[in-house]
Amino acid sequence: MRCTIVPPHILDRVASAGDPELRDIARRTLVLSSGARTERRMFPAEAAAPNEDFVPNRTIADAGHREETPGKTVRTEGGPPTGDKSADNAYDWLGVTFDFYEAAYRRNSIDGAGLKLLSTVHYGKDYDNAFWDGSQMVYGDGDGRLFKDFTGPLDVSAHELTHGVTQYTANLEYYGQSGALNESLSDVFGSLVKQWHLKQTADQADWLIGEGLLADGVHGKALRSMKAPGTAYDDPNLGKDPQPGDMAHYVETYRDNGGVHINSGIPNHAFYLVATAIGGNAWEKAGKIWYETLTGGKLSSTADFKAFARATSATAARLYGDTAAETKAVKDGWSKVGVRI
Amino acid sequence: MKVRVVRSGGFAGIERHGESDSARDPVLAGLVDRVDLGALSPPGRIPDQYQYDIDIDGTSATVGESQLSGPLRELVHHVLNRPR
Repeated sequence: MRCTIVPPHILDRVASAGDPELRDIARRTLVLSSGARTERRMFPAEAAAPNEDFVPNRTIADAGHREETPGKTVRTEGGPPTGDKSADNAYDWLGVTFDFYEAAYRRNSIDGAGLKLLSTVHYGKDYDNAFWDGSQMVYGDGDGRLFKDFTGPLDVSAHELTHGVTQYTANLEYYGQSGALNESLSDVFGSLVKQWHLKQTADQADWLIGEGLLADGVHGKALRSMKAPGTAYDDPNLGKDPQPGDMAHYVETYRDNGGVHINSGIPNHAFYLVATAIGGNAWEKAGKIWYETLTGGKLSSTADFKAFARATSATAARLYGDTAAETKAVKDGWSKVGVRI
Repeated sequence: MKVRVVRSGGFAGIERHGESDSARDPVLAGLVDRVDLGALSPPGRIPDQYQYDIDIDGTSATVGESQLSGPLRELVHHVLNRPR
């Protein structure tokens, strides 16, 4: 265990306090504590030949309902289906996400250099969560009363793998606005992988995150809505979807790493507005602008919403021109959610 | 001693709250003596893992899911799972 002089709850308070200088120091300290677990590629991967076919290297392991990773290997690349739905879903969704990043952006796996993909399924008992631990994905079965199996929806897998992509590129700090951007990028590409898989244009997509995850009888359609943040669920047991869709409703909190799953609604909605204004397949233009901004090497790991908005606007201008409709759509999208460029 | 636990974060980002008083909760009474909130390291910032805010009679700490072990883990799950 790492020893610190200042207790973490104080750091957390300070990290969300008024004094910007103190706040930054506290946040840096908090972030350092997680540094040991994460890996980041410091130099870009060697460029692949333009026609090289990237192939995934997947491994699925079973935790046997213990909270331990990776667990027992049950399927490796090219192996036959196991007959266990969770393991086979996890395998298939890793493949779809891998194929999306190759087809849409010529990216070879999470790190751009063919990183092996590992997923652990059946983690814990009635475990209502899925996460990316810095080197692999982990899925719970859900408790069956509120949540179903987290390997079910494709966008959950794509969301978690995108945390890996972010880690290997801009490495946005998982706290406050940079953390909410990290979350939002996982939702954006989570939704885009699903849209690509279903061959949906921006106006056909549901723009929901975690559709199919809520158990029968729960009042809600998903966990988040990029189209209408704050409307995904309203249930006696789960409460109401707390996401804001604009800066006027930004939530200040020290919980949830400074509200990363709450305020992500703002950049989520901005992306939705940009993608629907441009029209067509959202991964082709809006997604390309976001992807190039994330992976271009210029985005700071502590970028806030405004810095990210400016960066996407610059990327759009570079890709499509200063006065192009795409660039105007990006500026308008951020403006509508109250982020001034 | 009054113990409050708030779980936040996770993929769903849905908070859960629990509260109990060791004066009326013998299981909790056996756990609070074995937990030292001052000895915890800051939370690891792991995407979509849970974050726990624990308050024991006004002394509080924030920890990440991967830091929960032994009596602290038992305490957190005991308080969160108590019927309200």
